[in-house]
Amino acid sequence: MSKGKEKEQVLVRYGTARRERQKFLADMMSSEGKPEVLDGVVVLDASYANFSGIIAASLFAEFGAEVIKIEPPEGDPSRKITPYGANVNDVGIPFLMEARNKRYLTLDVRTEEGRRDFEKLAAKADVLIETFPAGQTDTWGIGYRQLSQTNPGLVYIAITPYGQYTDKAKEFRNLPDSDITSQAASGLAANIGDPETSPEPYNWPFKAGAWLGWYISGLEAALGGAMALVYKEATGEGQMIDVATADAYASLVGYPVLIGYTWEKARPRLGRHDFTLYPYGFWKSKDGIVAIAAPRDHDFRALLKILKLWKIEDDWRFTFDRITDILEQIEKLYGLIEAETIKYTSDELIRKALEYSIKSARSKWRGGGVPIIMKVQKPSDIMKNPHWTIRKTFQEFDDKRLGKFTIPANFIKMSDSPPRVKWISCDIGKDNDYIRKKYLAD
Amino acid sequence: MEDYFSFTKRLFDPSTIKEKPEVFKGIKVLDFSHVIFGPIAARLLAQYGAEVFKIELPFVGDLWRFGVYWGKFWKHSSVCFHFVQYNKHFLSVNLNSPKGKELIYKLAEQADVVVENFAAGTAEAWGVGYSQLSKINPKIIYLSCATYGQYGPLRFFPGWDLLAQAASGAISLTGYPGTDKYYKLPDYLGDYFPGNVGALALVMALYHRKKTGRGQYIDLAQSEALMRILPNFTYFSITNEELERVGNTDPTMAPSGIFKSRDGKFVALAVATEEQFKALSSAMGQKKLVTEYKDGFERLKPENARELYKIAQEWVSKKDSAEIVNLAKEHGFPVAEVMDDFQIANDEWRRERGSVVVFKDDMYREFVLPGPSAMLSKTPGRIKWLARPLGYHNRYVLKTFFGLSEEEIKKLERERVIGYWDDRPGIKPPVYYDMDKDAVFNYQGNGGDKAHE
Repeated sequence: MSKGKEKEQVLVRYGTARRERQKFLADMMSSEGKPEVLDGVVVLDASYANFSGIIAASLFAEFGAEVIKIEPPEGDPSRKITPYGANVNDVGIPFLMEARNKRYLTLDVRTEEGRRDFEKLAAKADVLIETFPAGQTDTWGIGYRQLSQTNPGLVYIAITPYGQYTDKAKEFRNLPDSDITSQAASGLAANIGDPETSPEPYNWPFKAGAWLGWYISGLEAALGGAMALVYKEATGEGQMIDVATADAYASLVGYPVLIGYTWEKARPRLGRHDFTLYPYGFWKSKDGIVAIAAPRDHDFRALLKILKLWKIEDDWRFTFDRITDILEQIEKLYGLIEAETIKYTSDELIRKALEYSIKSARSKWRGGGVPIIMKVQKPSDIMKNPHWTIRKTFQEFDDKRLGKFTIPANFIKMSDSPPRVKWISCDIGKDNDYIRKKYLAD
Repeated sequence: MEDYFSFTKRLFDPSTIKEKPEVFKGIKVLDFSHVIFGPIAARLLAQYGAEVFKIELPFVGDLWRFGVYWGKFWKHSSVCFHFVQYNKHFLSVNLNSPKGKELIYKLAEQADVVVENFAAGTAEAWGVGYSQLSKINPKIIYLSCATYGQYGPLRFFPGWDLLAQAASGAISLTGYPGTDKYYKLPDYLGDYFPGNVGALALVMALYHRKKTGRGQYIDLAQSEALMRILPNFTYFSITNEELERVGNTDPTMAPSGIFKSRDGKFVALAVATEEQFKALSSAMGQKKLVTEYKDGFERLKPENARELYKIAQEWVSKKDSAEIVNLAKEHGFPVAEVMDDFQIANDEWRRERGSVVVFKDDMYREFVLPGPSAMLSKTPGRIKWLARPLGYHNRYVLKTFFGLSEEEIKKLERERVIGYWDDRPGIKPPVYYDMDKDAVFNYQGNGGDKAHE
């Protein structure tokens, strides 16, 4: 194809669309002055020592709902759940991070008076989140059964380890929830860790560093709640949503169930390898660690090219040569690749992969291989990266009482009604007057 | 009054799901996405009643049709693909041909939602981007999924779940401190979690549209969705220290960890509150611990947490796991046995609850797949059919939706505007299945009636 014709084609493909695309993307970069999805929706968060509920409430709050956090006078114990005890004014870091756009009301559901107020609030609420033992609110007379009588539109979200129905739920109703037990019960821990043959304790099931049990459960609760709100908007009817944190991981990714059923046994732990794709993992570079993904055959060939490993291509050519079911074999390939990656810095490797990909996208002889390499990054590096600055991924706060801190925010960009963080506040009972006047005056 | 658990049993009874209403009935989704990240967002809508049209390239198909663990196909299909694609309509149209594009534009006219997860700008280049489709249908909700999002210097960087895990810092938390052991989050969690976030954005946008009548564009970066759940950044901004890999424990709870019991099982145990600490101390018969470690923050300090970890480890190693679970139930502190794949797939509780579903499919017969972890009492999600071979719904959709005649469809086939599978596993039907007798694939009706439901 001649140069001129090539240019013409590019113009046809990108021409007008590009300009318009720039326009609407620029329009998305700020949430200022845009409407909020859940404007006017009232959410009560009565979760206790359970971040699944707090996280679900945060998601509603980011989309604009009026979220009222209900705590006993001494505060929710979640305030003290924090890495290594790090805190600001007695508020732990996870609680601070999730204190988005929330109002705080002290109300003790353990007392008769508290329950009466709770009932009044629930009559005016759209969503209620609670994490008490299954059936506890029902015995108190403020469960879904009772509250839905006075407020048929109420969306009632209950979060517990084993749910609200079945015999097991009844038997385990007093078992409190935590993130690590959710990870263990839902099949996550069993699939992280070194292979059987490694020394103890490295071959044990292993906990993922982040709070995946709790964040998955919180997200699913919010997702279910949002769907229930859509249904409510159409019919006026509320419903009950039952979240079991012991299902979190298996229900999200599916693999434990799918493989447990079709393979009829449990997967062994594979350490740094993946079950389906290879190469798909981390390798050491001269100055750190890089993640490399080049699983498709043409990606793999491209990776061999840039690492100057073409001589081994014949032995590992096809996906089926690289299946991770024979560990010694795959460890050997791992070693061959690492011997090369260690010669370059992470940035050099990233650049090599990118340069190759750009060339290969334009050349039919290179078969479109796209080996992808990325540095494994630390939080302090990530926060400095201009990409995230431009996208406003991190939001800084300078609070009189809480000092300076940063939170990850703006994780969904929407052109018309984006979620946003308007304020962070954590003081116990801070909005007592406001809420009592607004909802409990009569 | 009726016992609470018999009330909830009636309320959530899995055998009544079929009779309950669907929240997204009538919502149409145009799904250009592939692999996991985009498809799972569209599938979540399909699970709750939306009609999803999955568009694939004829004779090629979605890459994840071949995404099998250790090369194992199940009845010539990928089990993972079934999970990500059930309840969808499989339409195989060549977007490169003008006629194919015309079909897609017609579909877009009536669609409510569009999902894509190509590299940033690709959909636009192919003529199916937001700037083009929103002209055809201004009320459309358009979700673009990418590793780094649609704008910013890294936008053209390609990515998979793994790269998002690296770029977001999710990886830097998982592993043994002071060693070279890092683990990635398994099973493409870096796709599934952000994909569910995408579904949340779509549901919110649908809610917004119901109230205001306006559609919108959604830019979802999977790295950002992962960053949202990490405490590292806030921790760093306050303490000026990096939160390193934490080992097999939770630094926010002490004691906490995954321990080995006397009978060789693995048990996760954690203490999140003072109350639970008292419960554990009395279960261990060491009530004096409560006076030794008074304050929650105090207990979490690394030296104290290490000490408590040792005490808990020692205690668990001298008991059978069943004993520990019983003590936890009785006293009230969080404990769970580590469950592996096989146990989860066969767990009675999950089957009774409906978080593991035994499903009878017309084509693939019996299959077991996960249900949701959040059960909705009035509008529950459900599985209607599994993934289908490439182009399976071509005829059905072209007749019912576009009102095309058999001759017109044959012409499109000859011109290779629409297409089907070839002989590769992953895109073809199982060997035992007689395609000639399939009423949906050979759809004879002329619209109106829905053979599928």
